[in-house]
This record gives sequence, structure tokens and C-alpha cells, in this order.
Amino acid sequence: MKLNFSLSLKITLMVVLLSAIVIFSLTYINIEEQAISLENVYSDKAVILSKALDNSIENQDELIDKQKLQDYILDFSKLNPEILKLNVNLPDKEGLRVFVSTDIDSINISSGQYNNFSYENDAVVNIPIHTNNSHTITVITPINLSGQIYGTYEILLSMNESYAAFDIRAGNLIMISVISLFILIFSFLYLLRKIIVKPIIAFRDATKIIGKGNLDKKIKIKSQDELGELSNAFNKMTNDLKKSRNKVEEYNRILENLLDQKDEFIGQLGHDLKNPLQPLVGLLPVIMEKEKDPKIKEHLSILIHNVEYMRDLIIKTLQLARLRSSDTKFDMENLNLMQEVDNVLTSQKLFLNENNINAKSMIDGNIYVEADKLRSAELFNNLITNAVKYTPEGGGNLTIDAKKGKDFVTISIKDTGIGMTEEQLNKVFDEFYKVDTSKCEMDSSGLGLSICKRIVEKHGGRIWVESPGKGKGTTFYFTFKPANEKINNNI
Amino acid sequence: MVKKIIVVDDDPGVRYTVKAGIEALDEDYQIITVENGMKCLELLGNNQIPDLILLDVMMPEMTGWETYDRIKENEAWRKIPIAFLTARTDKIAKDAGDFLAEDYIEKPAKIPELKKRLDKILNK
Repeated sequence: MKLNFSLSLKITLMVVLLSAIVIFSLTYINIEEQAISLENVYSDKAVILSKALDNSIENQDELIDKQKLQDYILDFSKLNPEILKLNVNLPDKEGLRVFVSTDIDSINISSGQYNNFSYENDAVVNIPIHTNNSHTITVITPINLSGQIYGTYEILLSMNESYAAFDIRAGNLIMISVISLFILIFSFLYLLRKIIVKPIIAFRDATKIIGKGNLDKKIKIKSQDELGELSNAFNKMTNDLKKSRNKVEEYNRILENLLDQKDEFIGQLGHDLKNPLQPLVGLLPVIMEKEKDPKIKEHLSILIHNVEYMRDLIIKTLQLARLRSSDTKFDMENLNLMQEVDNVLTSQKLFLNENNINAKSMIDGNIYVEADKLRSAELFNNLITNAVKYTPEGGGNLTIDAKKGKDFVTISIKDTGIGMTEEQLNKVFDEFYKVDTSKCEMDSSGLGLSICKRIVEKHGGRIWVESPGKGKGTTFYFTFKPANEKINNNI
Repeated sequence: MVKKIIVVDDDPGVRYTVKAGIEALDEDYQIITVENGMKCLELLGNNQIPDLILLDVMMPEMTGWETYDRIKENEAWRKIPIAFLTARTDKIAKDAGDFLAEDYIEKPAKIPELKKRLDKILNK
């Protein structure tokens, strides 16, 4: 379920992020608007208060009577408990100055730029101040007596009471946003699963089944969206695949049939060639033995050589045809690789010495393989003969080694012979291919390595060849299945 | 002492080669050739008991295996050594031949080598 998890997670994370941004910014804007409107309410209240003050002060003289005005604003602020401080600012030479105040300490202090602004333009100025536990607003309004502006009122109001109620509302608003965010996420996850993840899982499972070769599998998604279209296209594709696979299988059968016919033909031909060859193979050595004339003896030896070559060719062709046949069964047993190779090297000792080849096996005594005893011996014989054949007359070295892997044992046969070019490496396992036609024309059937390839493939292994280049030697590699040595010990 | 061998083979070339070759190499060998199993059984029936029978496997009408069985069924002929000389080189035939007969020789065989193997069977 890895796909399910990560895809949902990715999309969900994206959606959560987006919706959180949207919801929380909406909430923020909402709260901000409410706060501003709350301030406006207080500002309006302050304007009403200033109008009431204006009405109470009847003329300019009353405004200048400092003691009377002081008493009056003190009374006024007592009547309106929201008023924390009330200043009356009047102009002098340098600008507005606090003339009277409910806060005695503030008197005669210059009353700042906002007061001047309000005084000259007949405007209302709000200065809200919010701290953690107090919300205040200073409202500056003009003193307007019968259309004439004399100075400003500076009214400091407490908004704490209203804000207490507002905080609760804002808290509720945030909680509602969080809850709606969660509802959104879960409904989104549900829809995501139903609309996208489930069809994708259906596709994934179908692909697995089809991958295993069952092309009859159909995807059942009936939705009229892109996924529905995709499933139709997918089903059509599997159908087409099935058709072309059937075609390929049919051609394959025809091909197999032809190959079988070819092998049967070669087998029959090879067999029928053996009888006519019998007098030649049989009698030529007898004539050779009886013949005294050296000239005729030389002719005979050429005849014998050719007849031997023909015989070799027929035997190998038959062998190759038989190795291809499905009737040919291998007797698989657990073999100690080192022992088998030592046996082969011992039987080839004379041949190797004649050709000045220094052969040695580096195989570990603990490596066991699952192989047919006779066929694997033939494989080693063929590869060794091949290596010797392509080593110059001066001689060389031949090293056989094996490495045990987890699933197979890789065996290498390395020579110091004439090496191979890239092109030769590719063709060396082809039937009737010979690397050096001039030297080996009469000695090689060109079938030895094809036989090796079939023997290895019948063992379920692989054979390949590597060479650093002309004159630098060649290494043949092939793989066998490893065998459990314990089973072998029990036998 | 003359050794008598019956060679049973449907191929005239093989019959000629074995007879001419072996007799040329060793005058002590007397080779009688017949072209099928029936003829061989007739010869044995006429009390012509050889020292060895060299049998081909694949012959029309009666195969080498059948001929082998018919010879071994007869009390009087059971002790005659039999070797196969055949073009069949597959494992099954080879195993069967090795098990049943004194020797299993593959065609085409060099006559000097064939003679050595016959010598061995006949302790010559």
C-alpha cells in the first residue's frame, strides 16, 4: 500500500496547506474588520461626547475660564465612566497646548501633531492602542462653537469591556475555522480515496496481473471522467497486446516446428551419412598399414585426415541436434567442481603437454555444482581443446577458476592465446563459425563452442567470452547452479 | 585358432568393410556376414555357432534389440558373446548396449580399432 499512502499524503498535504492559508486569512480579515468597526463605534461615541461638550460650553468666555472648565470636565468624565482622560487643548504662540485635563499632570504640555491636524481641518482623529490586557482609543475632535473652531478635545476611552466580548467571538471564529478545516480534510481524503486512489489501485493491481502474463484481466471503472477514459484505453491496450502476443506465439510455434524439423533432418542426415562413411573410416587405416610405397602412404594420410574431419563433423552435428531436442534429459547430480576439473585435466594431460600448455586449476574444494557429470566433462574438454587450439605453438598458460555467488557459480577458463576482436567475440558461439579459418580449417568443425553453449543452457546457465584484444588471450565464462554440499555428503 | 564372427548389418558397405578389413589384418578371423536378424537366426539354426555376433541396432523388419532377445531366449545360443556396432550414439541406446552386450562400438569405426576391441572380447 505504499503508493496509496504516499500519493494521498502528497495531495492531502498540498490541500491542507492551501485550505489552511485560505481559511485562516479569511478569519484574520474577518477579525480585523470587526476590530476596526469596534474602534469606529468608540470613535462615534467620542464624537457624540464632544458634541455634548460643545453644547454645554456656550461661548468663548466660558472656554477661557480655566477653573470652571476644569470642574466641568471632571464632572463630565464622572458621568461617562468610559472616559479615562479628557483634555481640552487650546492654541498659544507655539501651537496647541493642554489647557485643562482630568489628569492634572498633563496640563500645559504641548498636545502633538494630531491635535494640530484636527484643529486646522475640522477632522476626527482616532489613535487606538492595543496591549495584551488593555484596549484604548484616543479620539481627537475639534471644539466647534457655533461653526467656529477654537481647539481640540482629546478623549481617551477604554474599549476593554467591548473587547472582552469581542475576544470570545474571535476565539469562536478561530475554533470554527479549525473545525471546518478538519471537516474539509477528511471529506477531501474520502473523496480522494473514492475518486482517485481506488482507481489507481485498480490500475496497479491490473498491471501486476497483466505483467504476470494474464492478458484477460480487464479494469472495471465506469466513471465518465479521465480515469474512465484511461481504463477504456488500458483495456484496449491489453486486448491489442493479447492479439499481438497470440500472433507472436503462433509464429514462435511455427519457428519451433521448423527448428525441430531442421534438427530432425540433420539428425537423420547425420545418421545416414555414418554408414557410407564406414568403409572409408574402416578400411583406409587397413590399407595404410599394408601399403609400402611412401608416396601412396602420403596420399592415404591426407585421405584419412579428411575422412576423420568429416566423421568429426557428422558426430558433432548429430550431438548438437540432439542437445536441442526436448527429449534429451540431463542427469543432474551434485558434483564437486574441483574434482571434476582435476579429472578432466588428468585425462587431457598428454594433449596439454604436447602443446606446451601449463594448465592449472585454482578451484576451491568446497564448491559444489548441480550438473550432468558426462556433459560437464565434455564442456570442459571442449573449452580446453579450444583454448589449446588458439594458443600459438610456443605454448602458454591455461587457468581454470570458479567463483561462488548467491544464485550461481561462475567458472572461468583463461588462456594466453591469440585473443579475439570485438567482432569475433560476438560470433564465436554461432554454429560453424571459426575464428582463424586458415589455421584450423581442417581440424575444427566450428561446432565445439555451439555444443558448449547448448550444454550450459541445458544446465540453466549462461556462457560468454571476454578478450582484451588480438594477441592478449581469451577468457571463457559460464555459470552453473550451486548445489548444497550437505546433500552431496549424505549421498 | 580361427575365430568365427557373424556380422549382422543391412548396409552392404559395412558388411564388406568389416569382413575385408578384419580378414586383411588377421587371417585367424573368419567373418560371415548376413543382412538381417532372420538370416542370422537361420545360420544359428543350421548349427553354425560363431565365437561372436556383431549386431547392428537399426535394421528393417527385425531390430538389433529383437535379434539380441531371440538369441538370448535360446538355451543353446545364450552363451554366444554379442557386441553392437551401430550408428546410434544417443545416451539411452548406449546405456542399454553397454548393459546388455560385451561391447558397444560406434559407427563409423576404424577397422584396426574395431579389431582390437574384438580381440579383447575373444581374449585373443
